[in-house]
Amino acid sequence: MHSIYSRINNVSAMLSTCLMVLLGAISLSSFLFTSTPPPGTLAVTNVKVFPGNARRYANKYQDFAFVNFNLTADLKPLFNWNTKQLFIYVSAEYENRQGTKNEVVIFDRIVQNKEDAYIDIAGRNKYVFRDVSASFEDSTPAHYSLKYNVMPYVGILTYGEAARTVDPVPFPESQDLS
Amino acid sequence: MIWKGLGLITNTESPIVVVLSGSMEPAFYRGDLLFLTNPSNQRYQTGDITVYKVPGADIPIVHRVLETHDLVSDKRGVVAAAPLAQQQLLLTKGDNNHIDDIELYQGLEWLERKHIVGKVRGFLPYVGYVTIAMNDFPQLKYALLGGLGLLALIQRE
Repeated sequence: MHSIYSRINNVSAMLSTCLMVLLGAISLSSFLFTSTPPPGTLAVTNVKVFPGNARRYANKYQDFAFVNFNLTADLKPLFNWNTKQLFIYVSAEYENRQGTKNEVVIFDRIVQNKEDAYIDIAGRNKYVFRDVSASFEDSTPAHYSLKYNVMPYVGILTYGEAARTVDPVPFPESQDLS
Repeated sequence: MIWKGLGLITNTESPIVVVLSGSMEPAFYRGDLLFLTNPSNQRYQTGDITVYKVPGADIPIVHRVLETHDLVSDKRGVVAAAPLAQQQLLLTKGDNNHIDDIELYQGLEWLERKHIVGKVRGFLPYVGYVTIAMNDFPQLKYALLGGLGLLALIQRE
């Protein structure tokens, strides 16, 4: 009854239960400590569209959009003791000629500590920005927004939006370089 | 029973997965445990972390959604407003990879809803490392099995 095995068993069961309760409490605590950040500003300064070769089919032409933007946001309030990192991303939302609703991430960044959480970027798109129909012709103007994903050490992942362009930005006509 | 019940509630074939690669570092490391749901009435959005399995690949992959394209359905009789009436095309990318996942899709151009196992909702670090350790070091598995067997033999009662 009081063998060494049952003692080990009891102690380890007790410890793992305590650990689980503690982890649960920590993950719940992040709901108490998180506050929403003040809205930042996102302004698109320049959009250009050029034709180019598609990635897979070398003889197929496709439009590529190039977007320059200015971004400021203070995301420090999102950091609490259970925040491991922020994943922030700028995405464009628009509808193309065929009515397809598109959401495309053009820029992202990983923020790992609170000191870097004040975002002030004058940037351009990091990822290829193209349309499913190969052309931006007759697309609706695009809304650009800055979104974030808070990733905890343990617990639930949360999402939010920190900035958005005031007016939608239209796509210019595709211009051939040659 | 619990596993199947959990799968039924969360609408995914495996509600808990272990991260097997480092392509989502520094968010997820090998051995971290992820909890998934796959709500049938919600569309996927950019920034969501999905677990997907394309035909021909045997391991599910955990990567983040980079692009979504909600096609307009031209089928008759479907309610246009229903999120699942429209086909959704997705493109994903691992946080730690430089380029998107097209090369991983085994010839597909886009990921579709039917390839997706679920969306990551919760996170528990390290716990799944046991399974990885057993795969990486088979000796450990045999040592563990042998140890248990030995215990069963020498223990009284």
